[in-house]
This record gives sequence, structure tokens and C-alpha cells, in this order.
Amino acid sequence: MGDLALAVVVLSGFVVALVAPTVTRHRHNAAGWLIALLPLALTLYFVAQLPRLARGEVLTFAAPWVAELGLAFSLRADGLGVLFALLISGIGTLIVIYAGGYLHGNPFLGRFYAWLLVFMASMLGVALADNLIVLFVFWELTSLSSYILIGFEHESASARAAALQAMLVTGAGGLAMLAGLLLLGQVSGSLELSALLTQGDALRASPLYPAALLLVLLGAFSKSAQFPFHFWLPNAMQAPTPVSAYLHSATMVKAGVYLLARLNPALGGTDLWLYAVGGIGAATMLLGGYLALTQTDLKRLLAYSTVSALGTLTMLIGLGTSLALKAMVVFVLAHALYKGALFLIAGAVDHATGTRDVTQLGGLARAMPITASAAVLAALAMAGVPPLFGFIAKELIYEVGLELGVWWISAIVASALFTVFIASTIALGVFFGQTRHTPKHAHEAPSSLWLGPVVLAGLSLLIGSAPELVSAILIAPTVAAISGKPVAVKLALWHGVTPALLLSLATVLVGIGLFFARDALRRLLAPLRWSGAEQTYALALDGLNALARGQTRVLQNGYLRRYLMTIVLATVGLTGAVLLNQPIWNQLSNLPWETIWQDARFYELGLAVLIVLATIAAVVSPSRLGAVAALGVVGYSISLIFLAFGAPDLAMTQFTIESLSVLLFVLVFYHLPRFTRLSTSRARVRDAVIAALAGGLMTLFVLLAVGVQFQPSISDYFLENALPLAHGRNVVNVILVDFRGLDTLGEITVLGIAALGAYALLKLRREKIE
Amino acid sequence: MSLSVPDLNFRVIAPALIVALTALIVLLAELVTPAPRKRWLGVLGLIGLLIAAGATVGLWGAPASAFGGMVVADNFGLFLTLVILLGAALSILLALDFVRAHRVDQGEYYVLVLFAVVGMILMATATDLIVIFLALELLSLPLYILAAFKRADARSLEAGLKYFLLGAFSSAFFLYGIAFIFGGTGTTNLMKIADALAKNPRNDLLLVGAGLLLVGFAFKVALVPFHWWTPDVYDGAPTAVTAFMSVGVKAAAFGAFFRAFLVALPAFAFDWRIVLAALAVLTMTLGNVAALLQSNVKRMLAYSSIAHAGYILIALVAMGASGLSSALFYLLAYTLTNLGAFGAVIALSDGERERLEIRDWGGAARQYPFIAAMFAIFMLSLAGFPPLAGFTGKFLIFSAAVETGWAWLAVIGVLNSLVSAYFYLRPIVQMYMSEPVPGWDRIRVAPLVALALVLALIGVIALGLYPTPAIVMATGGFLR
Repeated sequence: MGDLALAVVVLSGFVVALVAPTVTRHRHNAAGWLIALLPLALTLYFVAQLPRLARGEVLTFAAPWVAELGLAFSLRADGLGVLFALLISGIGTLIVIYAGGYLHGNPFLGRFYAWLLVFMASMLGVALADNLIVLFVFWELTSLSSYILIGFEHESASARAAALQAMLVTGAGGLAMLAGLLLLGQVSGSLELSALLTQGDALRASPLYPAALLLVLLGAFSKSAQFPFHFWLPNAMQAPTPVSAYLHSATMVKAGVYLLARLNPALGGTDLWLYAVGGIGAATMLLGGYLALTQTDLKRLLAYSTVSALGTLTMLIGLGTSLALKAMVVFVLAHALYKGALFLIAGAVDHATGTRDVTQLGGLARAMPITASAAVLAALAMAGVPPLFGFIAKELIYEVGLELGVWWISAIVASALFTVFIASTIALGVFFGQTRHTPKHAHEAPSSLWLGPVVLAGLSLLIGSAPELVSAILIAPTVAAISGKPVAVKLALWHGVTPALLLSLATVLVGIGLFFARDALRRLLAPLRWSGAEQTYALALDGLNALARGQTRVLQNGYLRRYLMTIVLATVGLTGAVLLNQPIWNQLSNLPWETIWQDARFYELGLAVLIVLATIAAVVSPSRLGAVAALGVVGYSISLIFLAFGAPDLAMTQFTIESLSVLLFVLVFYHLPRFTRLSTSRARVRDAVIAALAGGLMTLFVLLAVGVQFQPSISDYFLENALPLAHGRNVVNVILVDFRGLDTLGEITVLGIAALGAYALLKLRREKIE
Repeated sequence: MSLSVPDLNFRVIAPALIVALTALIVLLAELVTPAPRKRWLGVLGLIGLLIAAGATVGLWGAPASAFGGMVVADNFGLFLTLVILLGAALSILLALDFVRAHRVDQGEYYVLVLFAVVGMILMATATDLIVIFLALELLSLPLYILAAFKRADARSLEAGLKYFLLGAFSSAFFLYGIAFIFGGTGTTNLMKIADALAKNPRNDLLLVGAGLLLVGFAFKVALVPFHWWTPDVYDGAPTAVTAFMSVGVKAAAFGAFFRAFLVALPAFAFDWRIVLAALAVLTMTLGNVAALLQSNVKRMLAYSSIAHAGYILIALVAMGASGLSSALFYLLAYTLTNLGAFGAVIALSDGERERLEIRDWGGAARQYPFIAAMFAIFMLSLAGFPPLAGFTGKFLIFSAAVETGWAWLAVIGVLNSLVSAYFYLRPIVQMYMSEPVPGWDRIRVAPLVALALVLALIGVIALGLYPTPAIVMATGGFLR
């Protein structure tokens, strides 16, 4: 079992989600503050665990779930898990309070809270799961709750489309990830992360490694909006701002990064890992920053910068050096603090002014002083200015780049330039300069709306000024979990005048310079927008739809004859494949053809010819009655064959059934319209070919069966025993009424009921005439 | 030679016998039941199904064979029997009000359902090809009639006729296959076929016979390219009938399919596994892709049922104990989920008018929050979302495939689930995010239908959250 508290913590969100709508209905105004008590309590719980983690302890919980499959509901909280859990519950607290103000008066606020809590609980599950399947279950639950939260303002068609897009892209990735995780479980023999992570060497040596890695990466990349899946994140900005801040910046989109960090000890360290993870990360970092330049919507601007930051994180994991991993952990925390704050500020600005267009905004510092000071702090952290925490993160990333060489450091500096530009756009552009006319008259936001940004920005400042607050108890255990071995972490604001510091200074200056040239920059870049990945997504969807349409039109067209044709052809294909075996042909040519011909009696041959002729007549007959009569001839001839081969009872049955069915046919056909030839002669030729193919094949098979006899003939038994056992001299009679008496009874019953049916048909007709 | 009397152990076929007896009683009672009380005949049928379920549970855990190796009562067969009885009971619950609303309130409806159930149970427990064939016909004939049960509706008649004609064809292939297998081995008993095969592994006649058997099974469970009837018949048949046949036939036919191939033909596994894997890919892909565009809920569910047959086929390809138990679990999960989905369609129909077009579902969540929520959960379960029954089933099948070295097939299955998410989500989007469609006034949901939905919902959630008991039950295996 272990720490039961851990399980309670993870599952509590689901329980509170059930009552959230009721709470909201009764206490609409205070709902946010009330519901926030849950994430607050969780935050305190995780903070209280930090000293234990710093001592190298790990919290675990396991309960049997599906024991037959080795599935357990197992949780494990180490440094990495708790870092994410703190982000999830801590920022969650602020978001819940914020949403109370932001969506004040919305009739669906209760439902919103319910899904927000479901999301929070699922995300905690992702961060704290030990079992891979448990992780996957929570992973898909985050996709589902994100889908519903993005589509919250469902009156708008674009919100619906964006919700679906996010769901399809991340859900798809999640499924690919499941396949990858199953492969990992297959190779390592365990679905528990704690066991899996100790088998890195075996995993990396396995031939399934590349496939498993690529599948897992598909999941991680789609969730964390890496190229080429990045497009869903900016579109998801249709969601209400608290959702964007929470899911699409601070937590859910980091799930992919979390998974990569988590699996680093097991899968990392290979060339494939370096190129796939590091390369895609770097590409995303640059692409996200570049695409942000031309954005004018505050939230989309932030979304692209989030894409860029996620790329940076992915790249750092891919590089995998101990410095890179340390930088990654620091950056996760720093980014969550400043980006969460900026999203909330964007929402507050939108709330206060009615617009998010940066070209329409300016000089808001006078009307919104508290929000503005939080914005300035957060933007400084984003730009990497001391003494904020973002500065420490950026210094570390620069050191990583300098360690690796000119290409990497150039890419990092380029993305940092974009970041400074975005930070200046928000802080300088929106809050300073000339006051613009906005749809609503700007006013300071209510306390619920500024509390979050102020707390987050304040934390940036606090941790930045005193990094030793987190370095030993939070950062070190996390880095240890990712690198798979204990590490010591020391963070400092001041390292002396290093190349990294000089680069930082230059970046900030050039970035601000870019900001002042923003109009020219936007004009220059406007024609160079790139949306290839999104177009591919649209093309894929259209292609699937076109395929489906073609299927319906060509194949599923409702014509029975088409269905029948494909069924016959498929049957011929399935069974005909047997003929590919060479021995069959030998077997056929070895049949005793000579004796077959010699043994054949003239009336057998005559019957065979009759059957063939009658069949042809049935096919070509221009009238229904003619066809039925021809079929009757076939049936009677077959019963004669039975007779000739000594099965009189069979022959009799066949004879009576044949008579009845011809009779019924005639009765039914009487009511049908005239026989017309509908198909073209080309279609008829095609049908003839298919029929000949099927018939020919079956004939071949029957020939194969010739000469197979297992049981001795039963005739002798009947002849010997007719008199002693059944006291009858007429053997046929004895067979019918004695040896096979039950069969006869059944046949008589069937015939009787069939005759009743025929009578009913006749009667029905007579009544109609009368 | 001499003729011997086979061992007549009626206990072994008690579930089928009880249902058959119930059917006969209902048939007689129908004659003396006045028109307004016809629904009591359905209740009578339900009681019979319940007793049969009790008898099935009584047979549990003590595998026995009877009638000269013709039928068995092993845990594999009994599990399927329970699934079939469950499916039949839920679909009768759905039908009680449905048949009245559609003015086909006749006792024969229940009689036909019960007779089909007899066929299904026999099919799941038969160990002789001849009995399998008889059971196949016994389950098919009532379904042909049921599909055309709404005689005033041309679409229903068309459905019945198409199903009948194509079904007769595939039955003929099936029978022909049996003849070839008999020709190849001298027996129609599954275990004896395996023995004969072990002695003489090169047996072309048997291969031909197996191919033809496959055609028959493929038709009944709707594998591509033998699936053509499915959309037309599911669409045209009365919804309550569609619900019944979408689950019962699958369970029964897959039961015989698994038994025939795993008990009689394991020696040919190398050949048929590849063929079945190809069919599984075709079936899943075509089913899911075609479902993307359907605007009609019943047609969408028809293609979805084709796709699900493909997933189950993966379990057969995987073979082994895990493949077998995963298939059983999947059939149970699918039965509950699919009946729930069709049940929601029935629940929201207004008299004879049904919400068959997906756009008719607009705003349903506002008018019927509970039915809509249940329908959404059934759709998510069909799509394989955790933690619902559908996910557990898919997970079991895919891990069985990975375990036995068919990882690529599992990956294709996973990709297909992804395509399917798109069309399963569409009705949900429509219900929750669109305006109500004018012309759909709020109606009272029949309590019995709601009961069936709630029962299915409990099953779907329970199988997702705590599947262990069902998985344990599903690992019984065959009596060989």
C-alpha cells in the first residue's frame, strides 16, 4: 500500500468535481474561493513533503487493480513528480480563484469548475503515476477535459473546431504513446516505471527500441505542441483565459516534457534520442519564436512563445548533459511562474478593456497599476533580467549552449531574442506609452483577477533573489530523478562577468530594440507566415473524408448484386489461394481418370448432361416460369442421381422438397411484375466470367474429394439386419420407417408445415380475389 | 458397424433448452393474450432468460461434454452464453415500449428473439461443425424475419430480404466448407479434426474447407469484404432489432469462429493467422473510415460494429490464452456499450419518429441531460477512452497482440481507434454544443428503456474501473 495520502490527494479532485456544480449553484459569488481550498490544501501537502524528498526518500502507493495483467494502481512521488504536482496544485489554486472573477455570472460556472478539477486530478495522476497504464489513463483524461474546457464557449464554431483539433492531435499522440508504452513493458517485463527505469541498458539494446521510442515521442510531442504538431496550441486559445493559463501554458502542455524527463534514464543517451528529441526541440524553439513575431492577439502571442519555451525544454532533455537537465528543471519552474502570470494578465486586460489586440492597447499602467506592476515583473522574468528567477534559468541555458558549440548557442540566442521581444510587447506595449481607446473603459481588475499574477510574479522575484530557497529541496531531487543519480545543485544570481552574462545583456538590449521596430518587423514578416503543418492536418482530414465518400458511392451502393459479386470474388480468392500449392495439381492429374470414365454408366452421363443443359436453360430463360421449371429439372435429376447411387430415402426427400419448392415458386412468381432484363450485356459477360470462375474452382475442389471414403458402405448393414432386427423384407421400407424412423418423422413434419404454408398462400390469394 | 445411442446429457444444454421452452410457452400464450397485454409476453421471455442465466451459472466451473461430443459446457461457452443472455435481456427491455410505438406489438417478436437466442447459445457451445451450422441457421432465420418485422416499412422489408439472400449464400459456402473438411478428415467433430490434422498435416481439402468456413463466419461477424449487408440491414431493421443483432450475433458467431479455428485448426495457424491479420486490417480500416462520413446514427454504428469485429479478430490472430480471454472480455464490453448506444437512440425517439440523423441530436443535452450523458459515455467507451469498458477491452486485445509478436497489428489497431474517436465525438459535440433542433419536443422517456440504459452504464463503468472479476471469468478457456 504505502502512502494512502498520496492516493487520496490524486483522487480528491474527482470527488470534489462531483459537488462543485452544487457548491457553485448555492454560493455563486464565493465559489472560486471555496473550491480553491482543495488545491490549496494539496499545495500545502506537497510542500510538506519536500524535506522528505530532499533526504532522498520517495513516496509510493500501490493497490491491486487488474492483478491478472500485472496492473496495479500505483503512484510514486519523487522530486520530478512533486515539482509538477506543486505547479499543478499551486497554480491550480490561483486559477480557481481567478476563474471565479473571470467567469462571474456565467450560468455554466459550476460545470466549468467540475471539469477544471477533473483536469487537475488527472494531471496530478500523470505526474505521480508509477504504472504506465495508469499514466496513460490519466493522460487521456487530461486530453478529454481539455477538449471540453476549450469548447466551453461552445456557441462559437471556431471554439468547437479548435477543441476537436486539440483533442484529435493530442488524443492521437496519446494512443501512439500507449502502443510505445506497451512495447516498453514487453521488453522490460514490467509496466511499473520504477522497475522500467532500472533497465535502461536492456531497453536501449532491444531491437524494439527505435519503434518504442518513436511511438512514445509521438505522444510526448503532440501533447507538448512540438513541431510538427505545434499548431493546435495557438488555436486552443479559443478557451477561456483561465484554461489557457492553466492547461495550455503551465501544466498540460508540459505533460510531454514531463514524460520525456521521466523516461530519460530508461531511453535517453542514444544518438536517436539526441537527434530526435534535441533536434525537434530546437526546431520548435525557433519556429515558435519566429511565428510569435507577427502575432497581434495577446493570447496567441503568448501561445507561440509557449511553443518556443516547450521546444527549449524538449531540446534540453534531448541534449541530456547534467548541466542541460539542471537548466531544464530550473526553466520549467521559471517558465510556469512568469508565463502563468502573463496569461492571467492577458485575461485581466481582456476583461477590463474588451480587446486583446496589442495594436489597440497602450498606457494601461495608469488605469491598472497593480496588474501593471505584476506584468512588468513577469515580463522582466521572461526576458531574463536579474534579480528574477527567469534570469537564472536563461543563464543556465546559455551555459549549456556555450558548452556545445556555435550552432546551438546561436539557436538559443535567437530564440531568446524573440522572447525578449514578446516580453517587451506585453509589458511596454500594453501598459506604457500612449493610452488608446478601447471597447470598454479600462479599470483595475477585481482582487480575484490580480491575485494570481501578483503571487506568481512575486514568486519569480522571491526565488530569483534567493534561489537557495528551492535549489536543495526542490531542484536537486528533480534533477536527480531525471538523471537517475543523486546530484548537488547550487543556484546563484551572480557568477561574475561570464560570457553568458554578456550574452544576456546583449540579448535584452537587441530584443528591446526589435520591439521598437515592431511595426516594420510585422510588415516585413507578414508575407512569410508558415502554416504547413496545420494545412497537412486539414488535408489529412479532408483526405479521410474523401476516402469515406468514395467508399460509400462506389462500394456501399445498396445494390445486392454488387455485394454478392464481391462476396463471391473474395471467396474465390480465399479458397483459390490453396491452388498455389503445387501438389494439388499433381493430385488432380493422378486421379484415375480412365476408370472414372469406364465405370460411368450411360444414364449417369445422361443425367449429368441433363443437369448442365437445364442449368444453362435456367440462366438464359426469358421467362420466370421457364427458369423455375429448368431448376426443377435440375433438382429432379439430382434426386435421380441419389437413387442411382443407392440412397432411396434421400432421393424421396429431395423429390418431395423439389416439388414443393417449384410449386411455391410458381405461386409467388404469379404476383411479381414481368421479367425484364436490366443489366447491360457487358455486365452480363462480367457476371458470366465470375460465375465460371467460382463454379470452375468448386468443381476442381470436388474432384479433389473424389475417391475419399472413410466409412464402409452402410448398405450391407441394412441388408443383413432388415429381417432379424426389424422384421421386414422390403429394405427401403424398413430404412424409412424403422432404422431412420425419426428422420422420416422429421421430414413428414417439415413437409406438412410447408404444405400448410402453401395452403395459407393459396387461401390468402383467394380472399383477395373475393 | 453398429449404431449407438449418444450420451444424452440434457443438463449440458439446459440454458438453450430453457430458452427454447420459454419461446414455445410465449408462442402458445400469444394466442390467448389480448392485444393491450402483449408486453407481458416480453416479461415472460425476460423471466425465461433469467432462469437460463441461473442454469448457466449452475454449470460454471465444471466443464462437461454431451451428445457424443456435439456440445460442451465449458467456461468459454458459458461466458458467451451469459453475454448472449445479457444482450437479449437488455434488448427485450428496450423493445417492450419500442414495438408498441412502432405498432408491431406482437408476441411473435419475443418468440423470434428467443429462438435466435437458442441458436446463439448452441453456436457458442457447439463442438461439432454440423451443430454449429444448425445453430447458425437457427439464429439466422429468426433474424431475417425480425429485420423485416416492421412490415409497413419498405426499408425494413428491404433489410430483411437483403440479409436473407446474402445470408443464404454465405450459409451455403459454410456448409460446403463443412463438406470439404469432412472429406479431408472423415469427421465434423472439432477435436477429431485436430487429431486427424496432427496425423496428416498436409491436407488440401481441409484447407479449402477452412477457407469456406471462414467465409461463413466472416459474413456473420461482418468482416470486410463480407460486410456489405451490415449498413443496409442495421439501418433498415427496426432499431430494437438492430440493437439485438449487433451484439448477440457477434458474440455467438465469434464464439464458434474462435472455437473452430483454435480447437480444430491450430496446425494451420501459420496460414490462417496471416489471412486473418490482413482481414483484420481491412475490416478495422474500412469500418472506421467509412463511419467518418455517416450522418445517420444507425449507419454510423453499423460501420462501427464492423470496425469492432476487426479489433476482436486481432485477438484471434494473437491466439493463446490471453487472446482468448481478451476477446471474451471485449465481447462483453461491446455488448453493454453497443446496447447502451442503441438504447439511447430508442430512448429519445418520439413515437415512430427516431433521431436517426446526427444533426437531430442538437441540444439533446439540454433537453435530456441524463440520457445525453449516458450516450456520451457509451460513445467514449466505443472509442476506447479510459477508464471505460471499451478501453479495457482494447487494452487487453492490443497487449495480447504485442505479447505474441503481433505488435504491428496492435499499432494499426491503435491508429484505427484514433480515426474512430473523430466520429464517436461528433454526436457528443452535437448534443452538447449545438442548439436544439426545432421539431423535437420534449417527450417522456420510457422508464424501462431508461432502466436498460442505466444497467448498461453501470456495466460499462464497472468494467472500466474494476475489470478483474470479468477477466478472471473470461480466462476459463475451452474444454478440448
